[in-house]
Amino acid sequence: MDDLHVAVVERQLAALNVAEALDFVSDPRFGGIAVFVGKVREFNLGRQVTGISYDLFEPLALRTFRAIGERAQHELGAPLKLYIAHAKGHLSLGDVAVVVAAGTPHRAEAFQACRLAIEAVKHEAPIWKQEHYIDGDSAWSEGCSLCQPESDATAHDATGEDGNAVHGHHH
Amino acid sequence: MNVRIALYGALREADPRGYLEVDVPPDSTIATLRELLTEHLRDHAPAINAGLVRVSAFASADEILHNHRKVPENLELAVLPPVSGG
Repeated sequence: MDDLHVAVVERQLAALNVAEALDFVSDPRFGGIAVFVGKVREFNLGRQVTGISYDLFEPLALRTFRAIGERAQHELGAPLKLYIAHAKGHLSLGDVAVVVAAGTPHRAEAFQACRLAIEAVKHEAPIWKQEHYIDGDSAWSEGCSLCQPESDATAHDATGEDGNAVHGHHH
Repeated sequence: MNVRIALYGALREADPRGYLEVDVPPDSTIATLRELLTEHLRDHAPAINAGLVRVSAFASADEILHNHRKVPENLELAVLPPVSGG
């Protein structure tokens, strides 16, 4: 899929670039672009967060991003350019952790593709976050099991939105 | 057969090298490897919640390997705790 860009970016080398994502999905065919930007936020579950360390199994993460792109293309049934990039390493408060951008002819498909992709990244990609707190403590976030779809694990995190419970638990 | 397993997320804390090596009988399945890894952690990394392996996936660089799959020879695997990206 030539209209797909996937990347893992080591934070020590560069920050994720939202403008680059917008450039990639821009196209004369497209009147709609939707972008999701996930950032490190200050509080999670009442604890003050100072940063997050992201661990990734990079080769499988990139394969997963590509599979998500192909699925979005199939489900959308419309022209699509999709950009998925995730940060790796230590991020500070306010740093961008993930960028997903979708360009399509109309806004409905753009929102649909962007939502599909960010939810799939959160639930399917081999990525782990360790939150660091102001009291010096750290904790790995609970998450979604890749081997047990019916996992009753609950997850809360300090990035992005505490969104809808799309598969039985909140993120 | 000796299997090298890369560690990620909370399971990284099981070994500072970032991987473990586990002996498995020939033609073992991933389910057997899961049991052996659980025992290994119980013996060598008791601070790790043993239940974490139960909800972790095994994978190669290309795909998730479910319980019924044979443990591939001469291939480093990874054990993936529940994911929390984004």
